[in-house]
Amino acid sequence: MLFPTLAFGVFFLFVYFTTWSLDRENGRRKLFLLLASWFFYAQWDWRFVGLLILSAVLNWAIAALIARRMERDGPQARRAWLVGLGVAANLLILGFFKYYGFFIEQAGDLLARFGWERDLPLLQVVLPVGISFFTFQGISYVVDVHRGKTPPAKSLLDVMLLMSFFPHLVAGPIVRASDLLPQFERAPRLTREMATHGLLLICWGLFKKTVIASELSVNLVDPVFFDPSAHSAVDIAAAVYGYAVQIYCDFSAYSDMAIGIAALLGYSFPRNFDQPYRASSMQSFWRRWHISLSSWLRDYLYVPLGGGRKGLFASCINVFITMVLGGLWHGAAWTFLAWGALHGGVQVIERLGRAVFGDRKIMPTVLGVLITFHIVCLGWILFRAETFELAMAMLAGLGRIGPVTMLTPLLLTLIVGGLAMHWLPPRAIEGVAERLKTAPSITLGLLIGIAILLVEAVRPEGVAPFIYFQF
Amino acid sequence: MTDDRDKMGEGEVPLEPFPTHRPDSPFPPLYESLPAQTPADPPSDWIQSADAHDLPTRESKLAALGRFAFPPAPPLDDEGVAARDMRWTSRTLVIATAFLLVFNAVSPLNWSHQQAPGWVSETVEKVSEAWVGQLALLGVDMPRRGLRDAWFAAKDARFVGQEPAPPRADTP
Repeated sequence: MLFPTLAFGVFFLFVYFTTWSLDRENGRRKLFLLLASWFFYAQWDWRFVGLLILSAVLNWAIAALIARRMERDGPQARRAWLVGLGVAANLLILGFFKYYGFFIEQAGDLLARFGWERDLPLLQVVLPVGISFFTFQGISYVVDVHRGKTPPAKSLLDVMLLMSFFPHLVAGPIVRASDLLPQFERAPRLTREMATHGLLLICWGLFKKTVIASELSVNLVDPVFFDPSAHSAVDIAAAVYGYAVQIYCDFSAYSDMAIGIAALLGYSFPRNFDQPYRASSMQSFWRRWHISLSSWLRDYLYVPLGGGRKGLFASCINVFITMVLGGLWHGAAWTFLAWGALHGGVQVIERLGRAVFGDRKIMPTVLGVLITFHIVCLGWILFRAETFELAMAMLAGLGRIGPVTMLTPLLLTLIVGGLAMHWLPPRAIEGVAERLKTAPSITLGLLIGIAILLVEAVRPEGVAPFIYFQF
Repeated sequence: MTDDRDKMGEGEVPLEPFPTHRPDSPFPPLYESLPAQTPADPPSDWIQSADAHDLPTRESKLAALGRFAFPPAPPLDDEGVAARDMRWTSRTLVIATAFLLVFNAVSPLNWSHQQAPGWVSETVEKVSEAWVGQLALLGVDMPRRGLRDAWFAAKDARFVGQEPAPPRADTP
């Protein structure tokens, strides 16, 4: 069940009215939201609802044990093994479903290279939708309880809802326990600000996903990436820029809609994107792109590795490792590792540059933005291409002279528009929401209806799943 | 409160616009009926910086009666404000949904065509067909159709020298 579908619209209206009718009974409200979330998840594959429950029970139990030990023995209680167990269990689940096939295949190739060919137990493991997101949430919950950053949840229901809450379940943002558990403790309140902001985010997300991302994907990016040798340099460059816009509009649309849907149910999610293509350095890019993942990687990977505490060289290594593993998080493929290595490598160069030049500005901001954007686009080629050969074919095609067959005036407008939206005022939607919150409900209702009608009228038939569902 | 200067007869125009003392009357009998010492008036609530245009206008008797018969509710507490905002949001959603059911009526029909045959999809299809047909008689499908035609015209546009777009099979 995808957000921009009629089925989800009906589901959401049912959940909205039922949830608010249970306003006075927070426990029942949460139970209903949990059941609705499981129903939502079961639309992909009902068998994995069990995995979701198992993961939640596991994290709840380990966090409860950690909390009990801390209560009994004080903050110095020996509990590292419990945290290790919790993290390992989460990674085991993630590793089995996401990386088992990849590692077995690589191990088979490696053994064959040394002449020890073996029939390794290959399994066709179906990847549960959103497993990376709820696993990372589970890890952050256990570690935060261990660090004393968040108290353990008051009930198993809260942990289950934290991990299963349908707005963020399949593609984030990665909402941490410290963000959401305090909100679960009492019945939420819906304000006009939240409602207006949420409705606008939903409309904006619908537009970005179903109009911009879908159109670019179907008519430009997919055909060119399928066979780069059949296209000229202009079409290939357009496809690369188009993919940069597509993936932004696709993923940020999901985040916008998730934040908007949660807001209409009375819950607040953190911001996940902040005009990433305005970044004038790779460091700045990662402070603007998929913020919930980059901050997760910082807190649960970069900092435990040592962060920047052990000098420049160690911090460079740590950044590189963090980005490579961040690449691997996106999928079990060498192209994702290369993508992470590219981002990590450029961040290392930037870090060394800052060590040499200090805070002095060594190039104009515009130039920094252009260079960063093109490095990001280079990374997107690796990210989008299934193999290195395909990525190389895309790069080689950038020098091919030929007729422009794929790029049309509309697609060019969508690419330019998708990039231009990064130069809107940073909090434009909040500003519009602030003005509209005083409007009568009939005015806002008609405006929302007109906005959705505009999107519905131009969208293609059917809608492709969000790109980040596969991660 | 009487203006000091006026009381002392230093000027005819009082500083405060509402002098509360009585002027001397040219009619002795009336003057005699007044008590020798008039009680002090309550302090004025006049605000020096206010403009005369801010003065309250006379309320109609009907409005006054209405306010008497239906006195305004006391100010809402937090819970009341939250309930009011929730009702406002719900109304907004209902209005948007109703708007789309009329102007985007074809959406459930398209949805039913994408589903596997079954009781639900067939029921939705039949009901939607009737609904879409009746609304088309009123012409409410025109905005959507117009937008869609404009969008496809934009999609079919090509740069100079490019081959024209292939013919398309339109969906409603």
